[in-house]
Amino acid sequence: MGNGRTKVIACATVIEEMLPLMPPELAYEVLDFGLHLVPGSLKTRLQEAIDAACADGYDTIILGYGLCSMAVVGLQTRTATVVIPRVDDCIACFLGSREAYTAQNKKEPGTYYLTKGWIEVSDTLLDEYNRTAAKYGEARAERIMKVMLAHYKRLVYIDTGTDNQDFYRDYARKVAERFDLRFEEVKGSDDLIYRTIFGPWHDDFVLAQPGQTIQYTDFKTSATTTNNLNVFSQTLPQRKDSDA
Amino acid sequence: MSQELIDAITDMREDDVLRITNELLDGGASPLDILNACKAAMEVIGQRFETGEAFIPELILAGEMMTAVSDILKPRMAEAAASDKLGKIVLGTVEGDIHDIAKDIVVFMLDLNGFEVTDLGVDVPAAKFVEAVQETGATIVGLSGFLTLAYDPMKETVAALRENGLNVKIMIGGGQIDEQIRDYTGADAYGRDAMAAVALAKEWVKES
Repeated sequence: MGNGRTKVIACATVIEEMLPLMPPELAYEVLDFGLHLVPGSLKTRLQEAIDAACADGYDTIILGYGLCSMAVVGLQTRTATVVIPRVDDCIACFLGSREAYTAQNKKEPGTYYLTKGWIEVSDTLLDEYNRTAAKYGEARAERIMKVMLAHYKRLVYIDTGTDNQDFYRDYARKVAERFDLRFEEVKGSDDLIYRTIFGPWHDDFVLAQPGQTIQYTDFKTSATTTNNLNVFSQTLPQRKDSDA
Repeated sequence: MSQELIDAITDMREDDVLRITNELLDGGASPLDILNACKAAMEVIGQRFETGEAFIPELILAGEMMTAVSDILKPRMAEAAASDKLGKIVLGTVEGDIHDIAKDIVVFMLDLNGFEVTDLGVDVPAAKFVEAVQETGATIVGLSGFLTLAYDPMKETVAALRENGLNVKIMIGGGQIDEQIRDYTGADAYGRDAMAAVALAKEWVKES
């Protein structure tokens, strides 16, 4: 197949933030958000998706993931270069950098984060409560949530700037109130997501070349090679602030 | 071992667990029999968690049931076995991480298996681990962390313990920790679950 073909493989929560920036011709595949709850199955599913993209002749695969509980460690790429933001998880992508995430975590380690994407895929504390209550009754669900949130103090809503933020912010505030968490709003940044799509893929990215296996330490050391696979550099679309 | 008790625990039937435990004890079962059933049940739940058939709520319920059972057993066990503790362990969730559901199960299982455990709680700075080891004279340290963000603080804590010349064996666990992370942090071993932590601790006290 042709040269310079790129495919994005992303989690349902991350693609929400990528789509408004992505050129329409860029191929993408969305993987189920629920996979993150079982890192083993996320790894299997990601490997399948990478293998399929290699077989389809793509030569660059962008993963809309982070380390994600080690799910990306051990992934192999046969023929394509795989690009992954060098972050622990998607929270860093939404906040715009690894440093911003570290700063938030330092400020309050007991933080529960929410974004539009997370609310969309129904993974909030309210959903967790409802699932638990359906299975074990309301009284036990209350008890379980208390234990689960024992050390959580704060709920941060990350405003990623996409459509309908008011609706999702209100929802997040309600979740915070329901579970006695201090509500805070933090302005997100699409900087890292933008660079994930368009490059340049410098130190903030892990690059796995054809034949390589992704290691944990790849997320710890700085990349020395700068990749020149920035295929869309000539045709950068206008940045938009909504996904209209 | 009572399959009825194991099933009640793995099915999350709290009331049945307490009823069966009391019935078994009244019928002459030893606390050790009950504990073995608890361990077997916890292993099943651990496996289900690995494969995605059980989630955090199940771990929490299991933890609560274990505490309730041990409250019944402890008075009887004190009479039965007044033997010395196997060894001292300092354990906690490292700085920057506040998850403790699995850590609490590890503390519980170590305690049940005869170790004197000092639980430092969550978001514990390296200096506090050093202090606790110096105060208690513990020979084993357990570092817990659920987030991948915890691996750097783990590495720092291992370094702090070594720099202070403390002669301790260090185990790490939580989340998806594996050999790569053990190597990265410089810990002596890692454990996949509470059973593994108990096995490691037993092995280490035998060596010393």
